[in-house]
Amino acid sequence: MAGRSEFSASARGKDRNCSTQSYLCRGDSHVFPSSPVLKARINEMDWQGQKHAEMLMQIFLVFSAVAAFGAGYLMRDFRLMMLIYAGGVVLTALVTVPNWPYFNRHPLKWLDPSEAEKHPKPQVSNITSSSSSKKKASKNK
Amino acid sequence: MHSAVQRANTVATIAAILLATICAAASFLDAFNSPSLQAHVQVVKINRFRRQLDGNDEVKMTLKMSMDLTSLFTWNTKQVFVFLAAEYETDTNSLNQVSLWDHIVQEKERASFQVKVPTKYPLIDQGTNLRGKKVGLVLHWHIMPISGRMIQGKMPLSNFSLPDSYTTRS
Repeated sequence: MAGRSEFSASARGKDRNCSTQSYLCRGDSHVFPSSPVLKARINEMDWQGQKHAEMLMQIFLVFSAVAAFGAGYLMRDFRLMMLIYAGGVVLTALVTVPNWPYFNRHPLKWLDPSEAEKHPKPQVSNITSSSSSKKKASKNK
Repeated sequence: MHSAVQRANTVATIAAILLATICAAASFLDAFNSPSLQAHVQVVKINRFRRQLDGNDEVKMTLKMSMDLTSLFTWNTKQVFVFLAAEYETDTNSLNQVSLWDHIVQEKERASFQVKVPTKYPLIDQGTNLRGKKVGLVLHWHIMPISGRMIQGKMPLSNFSLPDSYTTRS
């Protein structure tokens, strides 16, 4: 995932209650517009959205290929088959490739910074005799 | 699938694979086309039958041909190349095939025609064996599809015999 400054914006105290990665909670929502087209370029998809987008892509493409072949065979026109298939591919790309907000309906909930401070990252120990036990303890966290 | 560029790459790859699939399917269906064409050729006259300066026999003639090639065309056909070959046997070669006339047909609507033309290419022998020779005319065709392998076929047509002695241009 591309790194964003969620922690720093939330830590600045602007939106302490908000823990999503959406730009609305980063504290700089006044910069970004509300149109879905530009939202698609800024936000990314969540996991559910990616799976949904991939499934849609496969279904659209296979359907385009089958429909194009059927139409070309029935109308006895090779050029028609190519045109329908090209249209289907372009439609699939328009629906699937950009980060539409529709694919971001289950956004990830990042950990709040105050919560993260309660569980600090384990420090590397200089004592050689207890280094292995400390590493095991940190892994259990 | 994590970024738009990766999704675009996936779309392009799957689209290319499916494009190859539908083109292969279109080419595969061509195999079920059983053509039934008709053709008739007749030698109107021998224009010139002589021996060239370098020692080979040469024949130029006028042919009258009628053919119907529409059954060779499918939705996956780009063009049909048809040529008429003269076949005969000599002492040195068991089979000689010489192309006398050819034509490219690009549309199904123009595939049925009749022509009366002099031969495009003269019948030149490797030697001097043509006097009194019995020559068979065979129509060959190459179907070039839009996607797929070229399909060849042939059909033997009428025979004719060359004169026993050289003629001059009449």
